[in-house]
Amino acid sequence: MFKISPLRKRQFFGSIIGVVLGGTMFYLLTLNSTDEYVSIGPMNTGHEDLSCFACHADAKGNLLQQVQSNISYAVGAREEGVDFGTQDVTVDNCLQCHDRPNDRHPTYRFSEPRFKEAVKHIDATTCITCHTEHKEERVSVASVNYCMNCHQDLEIENDPLDKSHKELISKESWSTCIQCHDFHGNHKYDVPKKMSDTIPMEAIQNYFDGGGDPYSQDKKYIALSLEGWLKTLDK
Amino acid sequence: MKIIYKTLMLIGTTVLVSCGGVPEEKSATKGTENIFSVEEVLEMVAKENDVTRTLYTKAIVGKGKSQGMKFDEDWRKDDVEAGPLPALFLRGVATSIRKSPIPLGLYLGSDFPVNAANKFEGKQADLFDKIKKDQKPQFFYDEDQKLHTAMFVDIASAGACVSCHNDHPQTTKSDWKLGDVMGATTWQYPKDSLTYKETVEVLNSYAKGTVDIYVEYLNEIEAFKESEKPEIGNKWPAEGNYLPTAEVFLDSVKKISSYETMKHLMVTK
Repeated sequence: MFKISPLRKRQFFGSIIGVVLGGTMFYLLTLNSTDEYVSIGPMNTGHEDLSCFACHADAKGNLLQQVQSNISYAVGAREEGVDFGTQDVTVDNCLQCHDRPNDRHPTYRFSEPRFKEAVKHIDATTCITCHTEHKEERVSVASVNYCMNCHQDLEIENDPLDKSHKELISKESWSTCIQCHDFHGNHKYDVPKKMSDTIPMEAIQNYFDGGGDPYSQDKKYIALSLEGWLKTLDK
Repeated sequence: MKIIYKTLMLIGTTVLVSCGGVPEEKSATKGTENIFSVEEVLEMVAKENDVTRTLYTKAIVGKGKSQGMKFDEDWRKDDVEAGPLPALFLRGVATSIRKSPIPLGLYLGSDFPVNAANKFEGKQADLFDKIKKDQKPQFFYDEDQKLHTAMFVDIASAGACVSCHNDHPQTTKSDWKLGDVMGATTWQYPKDSLTYKETVEVLNSYAKGTVDIYVEYLNEIEAFKESEKPEIGNKWPAEGNYLPTAEVFLDSVKKISSYETMKHLMVTK
């Protein structure tokens, strides 16, 4: 057996305690019941019941394999690095529950070159630009004037609104768009025809912050629950 | 103590290395030669798209309308009992492809679109000017997104294209005629060359997209409450109030396009 120098005893026992503590922490913090202590912030509206693994799937291989692969990548012995711990969360993760055929602004549409300039202002190719997770809210954009990036030239034939869309755009009243139209077109409701009937901005902001839905309670598509999503994996 | 450290390092390195790395994803395809350039593959799939859209526009929308079938841009709405217009049929195919693991992008645009959001801008607008002159495909590399991009001419090949666009309340041009260059399809793919397997996967993802949107249309018909439902089977609208099943529709596409596509696929370099 190794002999421990009396002068190194503290270091030795300190190392043992460190390894035991580290192992215990690793075990405890990877339990489902301790999700909230690991999370960087409370989940967004509607996501409260999700487990970490719903978005943060384990990366391929075990930790040692991942370390080895990334060292190999760092020294040029491998073409690509690998995810460490968990896989990166991408749009695909969101779409597994939220994808629907009638999305008015699906993320993939904005990959087309013609949206290059618009995407510089607001990256609509990814959900988290507007729906940053772990913020305990629904929508996280700083300003609701994002329609201006694509709809500057909009003109409506036989405009049904009492104040024309053209006039609203010329006056740069971009916040009014969202007071009639929900971005993803997922609500069933009659779009107002009078400016006085539009949804007040306070109600919209409250909705963005996680409050009640001012557009309609009747939705065209309901996103999958955690259980529903798990069933799709079984299939 | 030095022995302890050395031993621990040796054990640590052995444990680390003995696990092996995470298998490289490319290992499955290694040894498989990339035999098609991305331009060739996109030309192949664009050809399939031409055939599919023309068949849908002429044989389903054109003939279907004469049988009293309806096609509408709001076809997905609950209170609208209709099928998808050709542009929306293509949008449906594109959506289905994006849901597949195949990283293929497909878009439709024009300089006079019905929907202003489909108007070409920037590089696409410049290349579309060229397409209007010679109708030849245009290729470029989109540096921002690191995607190989191709544009192919979209010609008014059926009366239904012309009449619908000319008569649409939101149209920005009302003198379209048969044979006009109405727009272009834009395709994107991340790699500059593809293996045989990847090429077939691209073609299959397009075919699956066609089936998906067509099945959606048939499901829509199933839910019709007031309109007369066409009989779905082996017959086409040209014969009466009939619609082909998705399999029959796809078979017809394959019959028309298979020779050209097979010719490409059979080439060995």
